[in-house]
Amino acid sequence: MVEGRRRILVVEDDSETAEQLVESLSTSGYQVDLATDGEEGLSRARSADYAVMTIDRMLPGIDGLAIIRRLREDGIGTPALIISALGEIDDRVRGLRAGGDDYLVKPFAFAELLARVEALARRSATVVKETVLRVGDLRMDLVSRTVTRCGRDIELLPREFQVLEYLVCNQGQVVPRAMLLQHVWDLHFDPTTNIIDVYVGRVRRKVDDRQAYPLIHTIRGVGFCVRAPC
Amino acid sequence: MLLAKTLRSSTLKLALISIGIFGAVVVGLFTYVYWSTSSYVRSRADRGIAAEQAILQRAYDMGGRSALVDAIAQRMAEEHLQTGLYLFADSSYAPIAGNLDAWPPSLKDTNGWSNFSTREWKPDAPHQPLLRAALVTFPDGSHLLVGRDIEDLDKFAVQIETALALGISLIFALAGVASLYVTRRTVGRIEAINATSRSIMQSGLGKRIPLRGTRDEWDQLAINLNSMLDRIEALMGEVKQATDNVAHDLRTPLTRMRGRLEKAYGRPREGDEDQALISDTIAHLDGVLGMFTSLTRISQIEANDRTAGFRAVNLAEIANEVVELFDAAAEDRGAHIEAAGAPLALVSGDRDLLFDAVSNLVDNALKHGRDAGHVSVEVTRGDDGAAISVADDGPGIPATERRHVFKRFYRLERSRRTPGNGLGLSLVAAVARLHGADIEMLDNAPGLRFRLRFPRPTAS
Repeated sequence: MVEGRRRILVVEDDSETAEQLVESLSTSGYQVDLATDGEEGLSRARSADYAVMTIDRMLPGIDGLAIIRRLREDGIGTPALIISALGEIDDRVRGLRAGGDDYLVKPFAFAELLARVEALARRSATVVKETVLRVGDLRMDLVSRTVTRCGRDIELLPREFQVLEYLVCNQGQVVPRAMLLQHVWDLHFDPTTNIIDVYVGRVRRKVDDRQAYPLIHTIRGVGFCVRAPC
Repeated sequence: MLLAKTLRSSTLKLALISIGIFGAVVVGLFTYVYWSTSSYVRSRADRGIAAEQAILQRAYDMGGRSALVDAIAQRMAEEHLQTGLYLFADSSYAPIAGNLDAWPPSLKDTNGWSNFSTREWKPDAPHQPLLRAALVTFPDGSHLLVGRDIEDLDKFAVQIETALALGISLIFALAGVASLYVTRRTVGRIEAINATSRSIMQSGLGKRIPLRGTRDEWDQLAINLNSMLDRIEALMGEVKQATDNVAHDLRTPLTRMRGRLEKAYGRPREGDEDQALISDTIAHLDGVLGMFTSLTRISQIEANDRTAGFRAVNLAEIANEVVELFDAAAEDRGAHIEAAGAPLALVSGDRDLLFDAVSNLVDNALKHGRDAGHVSVEVTRGDDGAAISVADDGPGIPATERRHVFKRFYRLERSRRTPGNGLGLSLVAAVARLHGADIEMLDNAPGLRFRLRFPRPTAS
């Protein structure tokens, strides 16, 4: 599903953060509109059709959650990424209940922001469910739950299969640790230990050891990325 | 100073109000006693006079004036009627018979009861006694006065009055003194507490309220306040310790980052080296930010009431998932990890937090346990609720250090070099508190066993 430049609305009052957001989203191929307060954000979100929007939780005027709530009341379903400087636990839940679609806690890595925005943008597009996924010489059959590389079977535990499936579904994108934990384990917290790295490390050993090239890459401080060499 | 405080004291005001109410009741009671006593005495005198009058009236009715004169003479001669007063006079008030020489001028032209005094009665007395008499005028115009000396009764009444007045004054005086004493005592004890509070505000938490050893409610209050101060002092100490640790644990990576950046700044730009440096610095920053995340996470768990979002959670499922997740980490260390115990143990809780807590315990068990050791996550279900325990077969924790391990940033000396920020067990403790779970450290011989014991779910 190829479009032109996808439009994204950034609602952020801190000028430096806003500038960084606009820059990194623009270089990633988005056409970025910036709103610096709640009122402006609300009117822009109502007037144009955006693929995704990012909303700061604390804004002068209307706060971020109220904007999302009002948009949803108006029937505008633009996926929203809530960016919050408040702690994670309570606010996250409240943010999602208000109709936001994902959350990110400040400070964050821009790679993680991009990954989450990408995921939201894809969610808004229609996705045809594939039964066979391919990346490089790796082939995943989602029906028979088998993985092969160059025709050779790779034995994975069910959970390892889910991890690889999620990474391959998002191939070319960085998948942050917390996002992996959220989608594969349905857990909503930032792990304080390096356990996810260790777990993915084992998947990588099974998938990449004694192969022509590695597929699973670790993006330091953020998460993982599956991609084949060009 | 103390006097002024005593006078301002609410205790004194309360005491004075009570004295006022009590005093009014006593005065009312005494007035009633006085009134009823004196009216009883007076009515007795009146009955006596009326009886005398009736006898004389009958004599007059039967035998006329002469019979009356005889009767008067007869009654005057009797010993026990010495206080009696008799006077029979004609229509112009000229005395005919009796023990008064003249009709008292104030009693002319009246009938019925009268109180009076006259010189004719006991002329030698220093002052004229009070007399009471009943007067009657006969059909022929002559007058009869029958009375009695009631000076003694009057004295009796005065005595009662004096006694009552004295009693009331004494009661008021005693009550006043007592309330002043009680108030002063109360104000004194409160002043001791106030003085301690002031000196705490001025010079720190070292001071304590002195006890009197009387074991009364004031001593109880002082004991409670003192133990509250002990607790606050301990908490302040912990906070200070934690702050120092935060400062230290933050300063170290930040100093390292600063040094690196400074070195890079003074050096010509080189692509690869700069990239490695920047990437290292970001990793260090992530460590610092992670510490902040852990700290705020613990504070939030402790501060917010999240019990409203509790659901039924199966501990066995959490145990299996954590074991599955840590299987790779255990494999890396050549260790073995397994889940055991009951397949179903429901508790009411928050799955994310419980998962995080158990995975912290398992992470600790793997890090601090024996190399190539054995870690087991066991779920039990008893009558008094479910429990999940994480056991290793490593060196364990000395009993003397056990109570410290839940403090933020606390790390055993030998663990200083293993990665971690000393916040994991604080998080476990916070999660346990939120769930009302008891956390125990048991000897696994060899090794250590952490056990979280949950209360029975009340919903089902």
